[in-house]
Amino acid sequence: MRMIIRSSFILLFLSVNFNVAAENFLIKNATIHTASKQGVLDETDVYISDGFIMQIGKNLKIKSKHTLIDATNKHVTPGLINASTQIGLVEIDAASSTVDYTTKNKSQGASFTIAPAINFRSTLLPQNRINGLTRAIVRPVGGSSIFHGQGTAIALLSSSQGMINEVNAMYASYGIAGSKISGGSRASAYMALDKALEEANYLRHNRSQYKPGFDWHFSQSVQDLDALKAVLEKKIPLVVSVHRSDDILKIIALAKKYSIRLILDGASEAWMVADQIARDKVPVLMDPFMNLPSSFESLAIRLDAAAILNRAGVKLIFTGIDFQATHNGFLVRQSAGSAVSYGMPAEDAIKAMTINTAEVFGIKNYGKITVGMDADIVVWDGDPLELTTNPDAVLIKGINQPLVSRATRLRDRYWDLQDIQNKAFMR
Amino acid sequence: MNIKKNTRLIFVVLIATFNIIGCNPVSNQAESTDVKKPFLSTYVATPSESFVIEHATVLTGTGKQLDDTSILVEDGKIKLVGQNFYAPANTKRYDANGKWVTPGIIDVHSHLGVYPSPGIESTQDGNEMTAPVTAEVWAEHSVWTQDPGMQLALAGGVTTFQVLPGSGNLIGGRGVTLKNVFSRSVQGMKFPNAPHSLKMACGENPKRVYGSKGRSPATRMGNVAGYRAAWIKAEEYRKKWDEYTESLDSGKEKDKPKRDLQLDTLAEVLRGNILVHNHCYRAEEMLVMIDIAKEFGYKIAAFHHAVEAYKVADVLAKENICAAMWADWWGFKHEAFDQVRENAAMVDNAKACAIIHSDSAIGIQHLNQESAKAMSAGNKNGLSLEPKDVIAWITSNPAKAMGIAEQTGSLEENKMADIVIWSHNPFSIYAKAEKVFIDGVLKYDRDNRSKQPVSDFDLGITDPQGERL
Repeated sequence: MRMIIRSSFILLFLSVNFNVAAENFLIKNATIHTASKQGVLDETDVYISDGFIMQIGKNLKIKSKHTLIDATNKHVTPGLINASTQIGLVEIDAASSTVDYTTKNKSQGASFTIAPAINFRSTLLPQNRINGLTRAIVRPVGGSSIFHGQGTAIALLSSSQGMINEVNAMYASYGIAGSKISGGSRASAYMALDKALEEANYLRHNRSQYKPGFDWHFSQSVQDLDALKAVLEKKIPLVVSVHRSDDILKIIALAKKYSIRLILDGASEAWMVADQIARDKVPVLMDPFMNLPSSFESLAIRLDAAAILNRAGVKLIFTGIDFQATHNGFLVRQSAGSAVSYGMPAEDAIKAMTINTAEVFGIKNYGKITVGMDADIVVWDGDPLELTTNPDAVLIKGINQPLVSRATRLRDRYWDLQDIQNKAFMR
Repeated sequence: MNIKKNTRLIFVVLIATFNIIGCNPVSNQAESTDVKKPFLSTYVATPSESFVIEHATVLTGTGKQLDDTSILVEDGKIKLVGQNFYAPANTKRYDANGKWVTPGIIDVHSHLGVYPSPGIESTQDGNEMTAPVTAEVWAEHSVWTQDPGMQLALAGGVTTFQVLPGSGNLIGGRGVTLKNVFSRSVQGMKFPNAPHSLKMACGENPKRVYGSKGRSPATRMGNVAGYRAAWIKAEEYRKKWDEYTESLDSGKEKDKPKRDLQLDTLAEVLRGNILVHNHCYRAEEMLVMIDIAKEFGYKIAAFHHAVEAYKVADVLAKENICAAMWADWWGFKHEAFDQVRENAAMVDNAKACAIIHSDSAIGIQHLNQESAKAMSAGNKNGLSLEPKDVIAWITSNPAKAMGIAEQTGSLEENKMADIVIWSHNPFSIYAKAEKVFIDGVLKYDRDNRSKQPVSDFDLGITDPQGERL
């Protein structure tokens, strides 16, 4: 069985890793958090070849040439994913020339697709991956439409090989943010969303009538309505930022009306309506670290919200922390740890920053440690949810990542403060 | 979410980030011009019963970890820290076997009350961005005592915090040190006899705020000209008033100078009675600010948001200036681009005074977690920092920078009994503050809902018959 899986995956995916010098690795004697039905495996080995997880078991004997990673007393998890970032779309937020995550172009709302703008050589990729983040959902923000545009999924490789799915979700806002864009009332925001979906639905069934030169009267541009087709056809989810508990129920009802795949985003008060959310099988994207009633739509926000939602059976996908979720997207681990500290089972929290996000956003072959998956793997020097734990090794698609970033270069330059004049020559 | 994120960013970049703290007050050179001091602290510790915390792992804040140790508290003060001592039989006892005890956590950089939650148009009270020098404003006059963030901070073990004006101005005004207690008045929260601070700001914020209005400062060199011009006026004013005060003693009374609120504050800095807390990210700007302090004879207590402190840690050690830092925030501004995760550890290793601060109503709840990350980053690169040392980053070091180290910040005899009992090693993600004492009074108990304070705002806000949490 194992051999069959192995060969079929090599055939299927060899081309993906075509120009990657993937080594073979044997990780020995690890505590493995599989993020799968297998749960946690103690003192277990993982063999990685051609970029894939090939074998998992105790005392594996590998004849092929490989690099040995002794993980005795260490923990292994899938590489982490942050479900809401702008990684690759910004270097410095207050330097507008480095920012690509939003547009002032009024003709681009739902049709604003951020994938072409991603900079795989951004300094944010190494700083995040050396701290255990190997994948990210990258999304647009703001703009002048209630629809912010379409996001993507990346692996944190410093080359365009990191592109996973060019378009994997549509983003919109309800609540305070949506009403601000729509004229100042939730009622206007609701109408804007409803109308756009209705028109997009009409248009996709009558598209041939609408040719260049016609005078069409829609609430959105035709290119924006065209972009919503993938949402209506359930090819991509619609991620709606919404916080107040009654707003959440309204948006769930709207999603049902058009039978679309909904993801609740932020969802500060989701725990209050956890049972309804679970019943309708709507995933919740949240930062479990957030407990500040920072607006009148998040008054009931609390630190044990993730635990409550999880207990109710809601599928959770995590981001974090707070406004640093992009530059320090790896801190999703601290957010997940906080959720565990406030009552969520640890293995469920790990799933919320690995396999759950992969499943919800349709990322194939990533997110758990089972045979045949891409070898996105982190070897941690302790409990993977603990603050004082750091990565000892990070593999992305089977490629070992040097634990070096611009920040570690600066650290090394100033580690001692002797001989300052010659720091310029220290590379 | 997106809008929220952007709002938060603007908050951080524009508003929340200007502070300078003076570490050690220079000795008083003359009486204050504030002859009739207004707004004095009216805080009175609730009379407290004696108690003893037993069998705890104690981090003293003075560089010691003591195992299986007891702490006796009487009259709101720490009486004894040790093993095998006799406590009167009727003394209340808290069994802390398996638990950790630290001094109350202190945040040197907070905007609780001046940028309260929820953040709405009418509560943005932290930045008087109408002129680049507003030394005349006092943060305490903006504090909303019912900010629900205060109770959240208490649940994170925070017993004392310094509320600062924002960083939009070169000189933003006076900061105030508060006890994290319920009060109808800000005076009722003011830490008794704590010195005021003066918030100053380097770098991007003031030059952007005023440059965009077409006025000075529009550049970093404009910033420096602005500070120096203010200090020249302050020095003249101080001299006039000090000469007047001296003339009262000599019997030949000079003409009474005209009072100026702005210069009152600045003169008090020059006399060493107000501590300078200086928002300053970049290495070269910190060194320029040190030169300005020397030019006018004042002392900088701390650089806040000192993202590049690791580049000048030796100078900070020599000048006895604290560096208040985040564990890992970076990239939101150009001056925050060179952050390293080892920053605080490198500052501490250079024997300079390291502080982890929040500048955030979320971060203030987890200063122990932020310190844990900063410690761990240093240790991963070869240092040997331990909890007994690192706890000082959020207790005794901020107390020193705020001029209250004689009263609080460590578990020593006769200090205020500001104490936290933690469920675990406080540098673990699983640690929670279980009991928080302020002046020997149990102000928060995680296991007893009737001992969890509720702000006026939280009352009936989500449920008429309940509270917010």
